[in-house]
Amino acid sequence: MPENREQNPLSRLCSGRKKRFMSRRDFLFEAGEGVSGVALAALMAQEGLLAASPLSDGSACGMSGEIQSPLAPRNSHFEPRAKAVISLFMSGGVSHVDTFDPKPMLTKYHGQPLTGKGRVRVRQGYPGPLMKSPFEFKKHGQSGIEVSELFPHIGGIVDDLAIIRSGKGRSNDHVVAHYEWNTGSLLMGFPSVGSWVTYGLGSENQNLPGFVVVYDHRGGPFSGPANWGAGFLPAAYQGTVFRSSGDPILDLRPPEKYVSAEQQRSRLDHLAMLNEEHAKKYPGSSELAARIASYELAYRMQACAPEAVDMSKESEATKRTYGMDDPTTEPFGKQCLLARRLVERGVRFVQLYNGAIVNQNTDTWDAHSNLVENHTMHSREVDKPIAGLIQDLKQRGMLDDTLVVWHSEFGRMPISQRGVGRDHNPGALTLWMAGAGIQGGQVIGSTDEFGYKAAEQVVTYYDVHATLLHMLGLDHKKLTYFFNGRHMRLTDVHGELIPQIVA
Amino acid sequence: MRSSPPDEGSERRESCPVFGLAILCLLSVFAAPLMLTAADVSFSNDVRPILEQKCLECHGTDTPMSNLDLRTREGMLKGGVRGAAVIPGDSSESRIYLQISGMEGPVMPMGGALSDDEILTLKDWIDQGARWDVDRIGEGAQSAKAADTKAREKSQKISADDRNWWAFQPPVRHAKPKVADKRWNRNPVDAFIKAKLDEEGLVPAPRADKRALIRRAYLDLLGLLPSPSEVEAFVNDKSRNAFKNLVDRLLESPRYGERWGRHWLDVARYADSGGYEHDYDYPYAWRYRDYVIQAFNDDKPYDQFVREQLAGDELDEVTFETLIATGFNRVGPTVGFREKDNPQYRYTYLDDMIGTTSRAFMGLTVNCARCHDHKFDPILQTDYYEMMATFFSFVNYEYPLASPEEVAAYEARKSEMEEKIAPLKERISEIEAPYKDEAFEKRLKDFPEEIQHAVHTPEAERTPGQKLLAEQVITLRARAEDVQELLTEADKEEVAKIKTEIEKLEKQTPEDLPRAMGISDGDYRFAPDGRGDEKLPGKGDREDFGVTEGSFLPVAGKPFVPPKAFLLPGGDYRTKGEEVQPGFLTVLARGDEPTQIPPSSGRVSTGRRRALAEWIISEDHPLTARVMVNRTWHFHFGRGIVTTPSNFGRTGQPPVYPKLLDWLTTEFVRSGWSIKAMHRSIMNTEAYQMASSFPHEANQKADPSGKFLWRFPQRRLEAETIRDLVLNVSGNLNFEAGGKPFFPPIPKSVRLSFNKGEWTLTEEGPDVWRRSVYSYWKRGLKYPMFEVFDQPDPNVTCERRASTTVPTQALTLLNNEFFLLQAKHFADRVAEKAGDDEKARVGAAYAIALSRPPTAKELDMNLSFLASQKRYHEGRDDEAPQLAALVDLCDVVLNLSEFIYIN
Repeated sequence: MPENREQNPLSRLCSGRKKRFMSRRDFLFEAGEGVSGVALAALMAQEGLLAASPLSDGSACGMSGEIQSPLAPRNSHFEPRAKAVISLFMSGGVSHVDTFDPKPMLTKYHGQPLTGKGRVRVRQGYPGPLMKSPFEFKKHGQSGIEVSELFPHIGGIVDDLAIIRSGKGRSNDHVVAHYEWNTGSLLMGFPSVGSWVTYGLGSENQNLPGFVVVYDHRGGPFSGPANWGAGFLPAAYQGTVFRSSGDPILDLRPPEKYVSAEQQRSRLDHLAMLNEEHAKKYPGSSELAARIASYELAYRMQACAPEAVDMSKESEATKRTYGMDDPTTEPFGKQCLLARRLVERGVRFVQLYNGAIVNQNTDTWDAHSNLVENHTMHSREVDKPIAGLIQDLKQRGMLDDTLVVWHSEFGRMPISQRGVGRDHNPGALTLWMAGAGIQGGQVIGSTDEFGYKAAEQVVTYYDVHATLLHMLGLDHKKLTYFFNGRHMRLTDVHGELIPQIVA
Repeated sequence: MRSSPPDEGSERRESCPVFGLAILCLLSVFAAPLMLTAADVSFSNDVRPILEQKCLECHGTDTPMSNLDLRTREGMLKGGVRGAAVIPGDSSESRIYLQISGMEGPVMPMGGALSDDEILTLKDWIDQGARWDVDRIGEGAQSAKAADTKAREKSQKISADDRNWWAFQPPVRHAKPKVADKRWNRNPVDAFIKAKLDEEGLVPAPRADKRALIRRAYLDLLGLLPSPSEVEAFVNDKSRNAFKNLVDRLLESPRYGERWGRHWLDVARYADSGGYEHDYDYPYAWRYRDYVIQAFNDDKPYDQFVREQLAGDELDEVTFETLIATGFNRVGPTVGFREKDNPQYRYTYLDDMIGTTSRAFMGLTVNCARCHDHKFDPILQTDYYEMMATFFSFVNYEYPLASPEEVAAYEARKSEMEEKIAPLKERISEIEAPYKDEAFEKRLKDFPEEIQHAVHTPEAERTPGQKLLAEQVITLRARAEDVQELLTEADKEEVAKIKTEIEKLEKQTPEDLPRAMGISDGDYRFAPDGRGDEKLPGKGDREDFGVTEGSFLPVAGKPFVPPKAFLLPGGDYRTKGEEVQPGFLTVLARGDEPTQIPPSSGRVSTGRRRALAEWIISEDHPLTARVMVNRTWHFHFGRGIVTTPSNFGRTGQPPVYPKLLDWLTTEFVRSGWSIKAMHRSIMNTEAYQMASSFPHEANQKADPSGKFLWRFPQRRLEAETIRDLVLNVSGNLNFEAGGKPFFPPIPKSVRLSFNKGEWTLTEEGPDVWRRSVYSYWKRGLKYPMFEVFDQPDPNVTCERRASTTVPTQALTLLNNEFFLLQAKHFADRVAEKAGDDEKARVGAAYAIALSRPPTAKELDMNLSFLASQKRYHEGRDDEAPQLAALVDLCDVVLNLSEFIYIN
């Protein structure tokens, strides 16, 4: 962010070093100035009253009389294991058999057709013969779990990971597979996991959005904003994109040629007075009060969002942990460090992407024609930052109540695509989870001998979503939203908890 | 995957299903059997099953194809448009025989053939005198019994309780209750409401003041603000009919359709692109948007509006307008890429049509019954599939909007050019052919040794693995640029020359005709290839339909046999259950309504959608009018009498004012389904004209949400209206109506978050300061300001918008350049109008934006704000400090709750 900008007088309130985040009461206490009666009441109400109100299965217009702030914190169904989720989405399809799912049989049968598995469906062209991994696998940690040479740093923290080797999706289309893993539906227009979570729990920190997305510095992933859309949930629950340069949030601050920070503060004060005058004519309208409060929250967001992305106070050692000293790892390192900072400040759900569809073959993990180059490049970009994130969270004691989930939209084929790549494979993928008290150093499920299909303890995206909600203290069968005549769920009518994760 | 043959033609010839060849095959088969002597043929045992199974689908209804009714002997002897079908005793003169045997065209039955035995059976039966042993078939004992049983079974699944659901009862025109308050006793709407308020012990709010009223009416009907002079004129109009006249005047404004059309576009899940991966542009969708706006402006009777949208192509009088209307079925989300490799997409689109049609028009969630009977409402799974059967013969069609002569001329000119270009392209291929092997070798070098080796190993000697590798690589063929590099100078020159020539010819190819995005009856199995549909070696899982006879669009003068629709027991297209015929919801239908009404215009179409439309808008359909009346009420008051406007089923909300809803419904139908008449009935009431501000403790306590309407419900305006109002007060609103959508300016970084499909980056300026209804609605990427103000997701029909209050809205209004810029223009306008006097300036700003003067207190507050801001700007040496202070004030005004609310 540009340094020459006038400092928002509230910026001192944003650094939540000792506490995880500022409470509204702290804010009101410290800020004092500029917050007037009605707004104050509304702000207080959001914390005091609404935090205790049960989750309502409201519908769009919420004509319930008392209009809640859609982002007010709400109680979970039961004691949560995690307060926040960091989702690391590797866009384009990571090859599981070249990363976390070693298959010696591929070496043994290299060059021979894949038989006995029925008709082999590929996305492009004809199926090729089985192809061994060009990458070496090595045992890591106490658990001795094998990880390929693509992820030496993640290999180093393998004892913190619960690796699920039996993930399974339905579609071999990038976009549809993104919808599946992000929204639980094959169709466009369903709410994303982050939206469901924010709908279920509200936001811990009203000064920042509750659901933040940071996509690849090169551009958005397959299917773009639909990945973090609110679908039929109110728009308030959609993910907010934090941008990698300039102000983190769109329209966070006015272009300087129009208005100075000081000028804006006086506009806001005057606005609050006039809006309160108007609200007096509508006693009992919590909506008008919430609107007045929303300007104060916006004002605080102006200070707190830049503060959240300002990494200048992070130590060099920390930055190195995230690989920010290396141009290859710097962009994703920044994304990971930002994720930690956001979670630290009470953001509920952070989703990071590696992979942009600017140039699909190189900028995403979509290794049809260049497995070695493609996966080497992308794994290098993310390996150190991800390991750094886990270590940093752990060191700060944050890993205990933060759930980290790493995955892709599908795995890749054990067979060759022209000897140089692998095609899409929704039948098998590896994902892993860490933190939130999950037993690390364990492998869950398995694929068949070649890694062609998930075999033992098949885990679908419904199961992953159910488990993720469970870790946050939400029952996936109870988290519903009434829409078009149905109580809609993230998991539709499916979803089994993964026992080893929730144990 | 490898089952798809490299050369389609050769396979076709073997099974000879191609139209012309089929005839030859049949004839050759017949040479021998003709000489045999036939045994006696029984009509009931031998002939009737053939007729019932193979012929009556088209020739067994009251409006049979070619007017030929084969259900009776009389029908057969009388024949159809081609004359008698049967000459008893003489098969060689009988049309039936000539056409089933293929001796004359068109060969019957369409879309299939009779077996040799069947053909012989019919021939012998004719030659033996064509005797019948029953009066009538088709509806005769057997099939009628079967149909009866089925209907009874279906009907039995619906209980009396189901049938008694309030929304399924015909609306009753209840007598107006008499209420003591004279003011509220003048019309039934008020009387119904006041009676309830009295019952609940609620006191209605007083009438709103006239400034509030005119502002409300403008925002409600036009989505715009009255000018200060219009406000004053209305305030000074002391006549009894002042408000009524105002409503009449607003309803005549073309801006009305832009406001209310937008409401309908929410219901129609309208967008300008298809969504999904590529988010392809819908280049003609805007014509449907304009159609909707025009329909509201013209007060097109709602029944006709429904009819045109469902079946504009099947009407007795088809116009460009009615064809455009069928865009209703098309503007939902579609993939538009590799559709033929993904047959499941079509079922998703059908589900979208069923869901949108049933929710939009009938307020029922029929698509809950796709995989099983509806869990809450009496909607059977068979109902879903009967509705699917109605739509099943749809195909996408971009209708040319030109006279037949223009179309013919265009097509002729286009194919003329194509014919000229084709040999030139061929010539280039010929020149390049000899270089291709070498170029391919060059490309091969990019691949690992293992692959090169596999390709170079003679085919017979390849291991199974090598075979796969070689196959994968050989399909790649040579790269064009490698071929170019290898060409000799002379060849290069010639290719360049031909290419220039091609370019020249391409320039002479006529520009495409204007088109409408619509649907037609047709056979999807013959649809032309779309994007990604080209057959490449090894690509895709294309479904083999096994049909060869038929055509994409029905052909004039020929009977059209729609593709068969099947029940899909678990909703999966791959497991087909029994065949289904079009039908209507069991709980609502009488059972004898026609399920197809072919157009009398001579245009060939099944008329299934037309029949569905006619059923939906029939006056005894209990839902259609009710649902639309309730929608109208919903948009006037921010909530419907039924607060779930697209769900009148058990999971919806019951009406707060059932008798009022019924009364209005009957009134709606009486008025000839006039929506404008509904506006008048609703707005010219005490209920509509109540104040929104009415602090009343007892009321508040008894009915905190105000659901009984004891005051006018205040509510925030929609995203588009907020933007329009800002342009309205800044004086910058560009009223250019209709036509192609504009792209509101977004930062490039936002575009890069989803860089697919259409989006032109633009700058702020009059071109993009049109009304929001004309902005481009992109499924994959929303205009951020609209998104943050709860623009609904256009992927499913939207019954009502959410209205949330979040800080990012405040950020947008405060910081987005559009608003800051318009605040400046607003200030300029105020300064110009009011001069230098600060009091006059505050007055003008309030008059323009809030349609009222400031209160004394507000005036004081604003004057002191102006003064302090002026000092601030002076202190900073800003130029024109007084104006800068006014900009500050104007920006505040645009952020006022009062400004973006309807009060």
